[in-house]
Amino acid sequence: MSWVTRTIRNVWRIGIRDSIYQLATLGDTKAGVLVGIDSYGNKYYQNYDEELPLRNRWVIYKNFYGDAAEIEPGWHNWMSYATDNVPNSSVVPNTGYHKWGKNIGYNPTQTRGAYKPYNTVRPKIATWEPKVAERGA
Amino acid sequence: MASIIPRRALAARSAAAALIPRASLVPALAAQPHRDSSSLSTQRPTSVARREVPLPSQQKPEGVVDYALTTLDAIANWARQGSLWPMTFGLACCAVEMMHLSTPRYDQDRLGIIFRASPRQSDVMIVAGTLTNKMAPALRQVYDQMSEPRWVISMGSCANGGGYYHYSYSVTRGCDRIVPVDIYVPGCPPTAEALMYGIMQLQKKMRNTKITRMWYRK
Repeated sequence: MSWVTRTIRNVWRIGIRDSIYQLATLGDTKAGVLVGIDSYGNKYYQNYDEELPLRNRWVIYKNFYGDAAEIEPGWHNWMSYATDNVPNSSVVPNTGYHKWGKNIGYNPTQTRGAYKPYNTVRPKIATWEPKVAERGA
Repeated sequence: MASIIPRRALAARSAAAALIPRASLVPALAAQPHRDSSSLSTQRPTSVARREVPLPSQQKPEGVVDYALTTLDAIANWARQGSLWPMTFGLACCAVEMMHLSTPRYDQDRLGIIFRASPRQSDVMIVAGTLTNKMAPALRQVYDQMSEPRWVISMGSCANGGGYYHYSYSVTRGCDRIVPVDIYVPGCPPTAEALMYGIMQLQKKMRNTKITRMWYRK
């Protein structure tokens, strides 16, 4: 529950510096156990005793403007409450096993790598190409 | 033809053409930088290598003024990101997912997003659902009533490109035919998480907006 005492307690636990960082990124102060760090450097925490359901796992991104696309697939599975097991190196889905499932670790929207739709089908509609007949002088 | 164009004008044109030597014309054209996209698409010379221009988000500030204005922009953009007031253009089932975004589970209020019923008080329009031809003028009117700066999120397949009703006689094939769209959220319907991710992408776009820097450049 979101009481003032909870905020004060969490600030006391995690320190002033981390609290300010969490307020700027998460918009909340949270204290928990560091479960693991993925290969991108994001830190994953959990606290089952004091946090509400579906709020008891969270991630502190490596980048300030963290993006859910920066979460590793195995950890995304864990973050989405699909599994209780912390992903390890032997069980990591969709990391290069399939070519289409390769995780690039960021969202290429608004970069040069952004998806551009294209069409491979022959156009059904032909554009008008005007042909002017020769006219007598 | 000779009767339409005065003879004097024809003579002047040919004289001007004779003044410029042909050989000097061609390199001048080749050296001319291709600024606008129309010239790129129509008459791109094969010899000129394609030059990668950095995106506005990739450009680094240069000089003192640029750094100062970057800071000013950051403040303005921070304020814009923190108080996105969407105009709810709920048209179909996507609107239900948009409502889910405002309910406590996803809780858009924590991001400063409050639905406004009036276009004059809103910053972003979320086009949620199938845009029919009958509704299209209303959409455009609402967009025109919104004050600058304004953004549009196209939510769901129908708003993106007609979706399931692409071949229907009565459906606009994408709301980008009516209004300029900033963010396309795919899905049929997109989940509330997907819409929230789209809003975060819009915030990312706002962060890269150069408000005072563009003014200074002008």
